[in-house]
Amino acid sequence: MSEHLSAATIESYADGELPADRVPETEEHLRDCVACAGKLVAQLQLKRSIREAAWTITPDVFPRRRPRWPYAALAAAAAALVIVLAIPRRNTELADLHTTILASANPVDVISTDRHTVKPWFEGKLPFSFPIPELGATPFRLAGGRVVYVHEEPVAYLMVMKGAHRISLFVGRDVPAPRLDAFESLAWSKGGLRYVAIGDVARADLEALRDAFR
Amino acid sequence: MTFEEQAMPLFPSLYNYARWLTREPHEAEDLVQETYLKALRGFASFREGTNFRAWMFRILRNTFLTSRTGLRATAMQPIEDDDQFVADGDPETIFLHHANAEVLRDAILALPLEFREVLLLADVENMSYREVSEALSIPVGTVTSRLTRARAKVRKRIQEKR
Repeated sequence: MSEHLSAATIESYADGELPADRVPETEEHLRDCVACAGKLVAQLQLKRSIREAAWTITPDVFPRRRPRWPYAALAAAAAALVIVLAIPRRNTELADLHTTILASANPVDVISTDRHTVKPWFEGKLPFSFPIPELGATPFRLAGGRVVYVHEEPVAYLMVMKGAHRISLFVGRDVPAPRLDAFESLAWSKGGLRYVAIGDVARADLEALRDAFR
Repeated sequence: MTFEEQAMPLFPSLYNYARWLTREPHEAEDLVQETYLKALRGFASFREGTNFRAWMFRILRNTFLTSRTGLRATAMQPIEDDDQFVADGDPETIFLHHANAEVLRDAILALPLEFREVLLLADVENMSYREVSEALSIPVGTVTSRLTRARAKVRKRIQEKR
């Protein structure tokens, strides 16, 4: 029989780290040598025992310094984490409004392509005013407007067309910037107001719209 | 794969590891939380193709090492010289049928940090030596020698308790 396996060989074999070219001779030796096979079993046993003993997610394994670790708290912590991770991606309130309005039979309350009609319509309905630019020289066309509520605050809603695409533009004092997967969106500030544009158009289109409003 | 898809399945493992580093549930929770936030912020700089699990464990460990508990742990326990080690403790004599989990946990807790962490990553997380070396930013040779010593210390402790 060949020489006994070294402790290092047995350890790395148990860890699955023995170089492949040394595995056949090692296994051959282990088949014939009870002493080395016994050491291997002990090594594997230690590994398994450590794994089982060190897994703390099942409660109450530690000597306590504080009250027992309640399992529910782990679930709560995991849930809190999911929320923390989800917040930046799932602020969909404006996207929901955008979708709802577009699906509505009467998406806007004032139907006009004329900013001189739309702007006065908002007067008295909003606690702020904002300019609506002349869009004639741009690829955009005003379709109308209405008032919506976001976080219990009145917000101006403008529908702007680019070809057949409808873009929602929200203007308010505190409009949350959305992070969306389904639509393109762009947020900016001007004159103390927040503007958020949402639509299924290219980002460059929203940037052009922003430039027209700035 | 998004950050969430890759990171969320690691939660139990990271939490478990954090428990063993901090020894305190509240600190472990904070540590895991901070790890996720840092990783989320740094995800843009994470290179596709490198080991995501090792990367997450590395963030957790680095965060721990700069925490108050972590600084105390490293200050109290100077790294021992790996090269002086000669393998001791014959595994043959250590059948663990009677070593109960509590004795084992005491033995793990008693390990200096640098031994505790390799043992946890290799045996509990089932990481390869290569992965452990990435997670701890140490050479593979150091991983193997620390692992051997960690196990020897655990065995010795179990024998003493008998």
